[in-house]
Amino acid sequence: MTFDKQIKRRDLLKASAMLGIAGAAGSTAPSLLMAEPAKPKEIIIRAWGGPWVEALKAGVSDPFTAKTGIRVRHDLTEDNEIQPKVWAAVAQKRTPPIHINWDTTTNATKSALRGVCEDLSDLPNLKGTTDLAKPVGVDGYPIVNTYGYVYVLAYRPSAFPSGPPESYHDLLDPKFKGRLAFYNDGIGFHFPAQVAGGGKLDGIPSNMQPCWDFVSKIKAQEPLLGEDPDFVAWFQNGEIDAACTISTNALGAKRNGVDIAWTIPKEGAKFDTDGLWIPRGHSEGDLYWSKEYINQALSKESQQIWLDGLGLPGVIPGLQPPTGLAGDPSYPTKPADFDRLIRISGKIQVENESEWFSKFKAIMQG
Amino acid sequence: MRRNLSSYPLMWRLMDMLEAIFKKIWPKGGGFWSPYLMLSPAILLVGLLVLGLGYIGDASLRTLDTSTFLFSEEWSLTNYERALIEPFIRSVIWRSILGATIVTMITLLLAFPYTYVMVRTRSAFLRKFLLITLFLPFFIGQVVRAYGWLIILGKQGIVNDILGLVGIEPLRMLFNYPSVLFGLVQYMFPFAVLMLAPALTAIPEEIEAAAESLGASWVETMLHVIFPMAKSGMIGAGLVVLTLSLTDFAMPAILGGGTQDFVANAIYDQFFRTSDQGFGSSLAVLLIVIGSFLVWVVFVLVGAGTLAMGAKDK
Repeated sequence: MTFDKQIKRRDLLKASAMLGIAGAAGSTAPSLLMAEPAKPKEIIIRAWGGPWVEALKAGVSDPFTAKTGIRVRHDLTEDNEIQPKVWAAVAQKRTPPIHINWDTTTNATKSALRGVCEDLSDLPNLKGTTDLAKPVGVDGYPIVNTYGYVYVLAYRPSAFPSGPPESYHDLLDPKFKGRLAFYNDGIGFHFPAQVAGGGKLDGIPSNMQPCWDFVSKIKAQEPLLGEDPDFVAWFQNGEIDAACTISTNALGAKRNGVDIAWTIPKEGAKFDTDGLWIPRGHSEGDLYWSKEYINQALSKESQQIWLDGLGLPGVIPGLQPPTGLAGDPSYPTKPADFDRLIRISGKIQVENESEWFSKFKAIMQG
Repeated sequence: MRRNLSSYPLMWRLMDMLEAIFKKIWPKGGGFWSPYLMLSPAILLVGLLVLGLGYIGDASLRTLDTSTFLFSEEWSLTNYERALIEPFIRSVIWRSILGATIVTMITLLLAFPYTYVMVRTRSAFLRKFLLITLFLPFFIGQVVRAYGWLIILGKQGIVNDILGLVGIEPLRMLFNYPSVLFGLVQYMFPFAVLMLAPALTAIPEEIEAAAESLGASWVETMLHVIFPMAKSGMIGAGLVVLTLSLTDFAMPAILGGGTQDFVANAIYDQFFRTSDQGFGSSLAVLLIVIGSFLVWVVFVLVGAGTLAMGAKDK
């Protein structure tokens, strides 16, 4: 009996101890699991190449890897080309080919309207962002805008000896025939052209005729039409005197020694944003760490390094402008800086851009 | 009567080998079906193409709702109506057809004398030189070649540098319709020569000698003997150049500088720039229809040329 009692007492002690451990584990383990799921070996971020990806790597990807140990792979497929692949993967309930898309907000808005974006409204660092981080024209945060950019009028100072061009009308001077450049679908130019043509921004999208009238005048100047790398090459080769382009391209050319400056003409300049979003269909763990990456991108330290490389204003208050860009019109920070910048809802843009692109091409290729 | 193994064509020997392998795997044999089984990989490949075409045809009948970026469940002809009504698309279609026709004519005009000299010359050096000149561009991709022309013909390019030496201001030779056609002719030229060469090689030299002995001048021999006999090769080369030019993407995109889109460029824009795969698919179907129609017209008017693969003309 004594033996039995001993056994029983020992069993009881063991059982109590096990219960205690299990209870303690039960109270802490689930919360840990909820907070930090298993880490993937890598996450894949779609990015633009050249100085764009270098800036992202230095500002966000490398600090993220240092902090989490997760390798970051940059997929340089063009944003337009990855989009149908991501859409098809989500529609077929396959794992999307990328974890995060670094995308123009306009393109990302299409994905948001289609319902393929994860909700990002629970990111802790969102609390410290400015209104710029919130996409316009969609509910919640299917996309988080990470910076803004301006489609400036870049010019060769030697071609404008009396000072920067004040208006897009200055480009109609016959001496600039064949020496201007625009994006081949007119993106960045539609809205200033609407003003230059005597129209109002309220007329977008219902009455864009003034825009097309002014585009027709510009067409008579036989401009070159291209994409970002073309503009840099054309400025470098002395083929053009002025171009409507994203300020980062002009800054990149200037940093490479090209004699180039930029301005915002009196008609204004299109202001837009880029953002990050996560396609639906990833495992819970991958989704968690992808969100962590975007959260990292919204930290002040990451924004400062990343956007120094791009020369663009971020979404965290108190960032220091890169050398030479303080007070620059392409680096708006104060409300007054936005007076001549034109920002149109992403939803209006995506609903009408197909028609705008066709109209611009019809005029330019007519 | 079998003389020796090498007297059989290579293809027959290959088929015999395949049959032997098939018998090893399946000793009872497929009987009546065995030749058809050998066709199955090719049929499978063509089937995949047909499947893709079916998918494109289905997508072309669905319209995009830009408030949700989803496609309609129902079929409609809206995309086709739009393609035929929109002035920009109409101008792109006409530009492509006109461009393909001009490129075909110029390429054949240039390729004929080149091929003739290549197959008739008695100089081994000249023949080798012409062959190397012909094949070298094949090793350079179309996009790289187009960028090469940017370097050669650009405002800061080699040609303008040379013109500058004699005091001529830099000219803009790129980003216009002629530069796209020029790039296409240069790209299509080797294809045309390769299609023409067998046709010209098959014309015996004795026929030319006979024509001349009967009093025909060299020009008359060319016009009345060689051209008619080379017709099948000309048609084959023309069809290849026509269809490839009609569907080309890189030359209009790179040498056109965004101002000379062909249909393929418009399709790319719809698929990847505006995300309207339905409209892009309708343009793809139209391109197939236009290309097939042009080929059919050529078949009806002048026959299938070497593409008839030895079938006798009616």
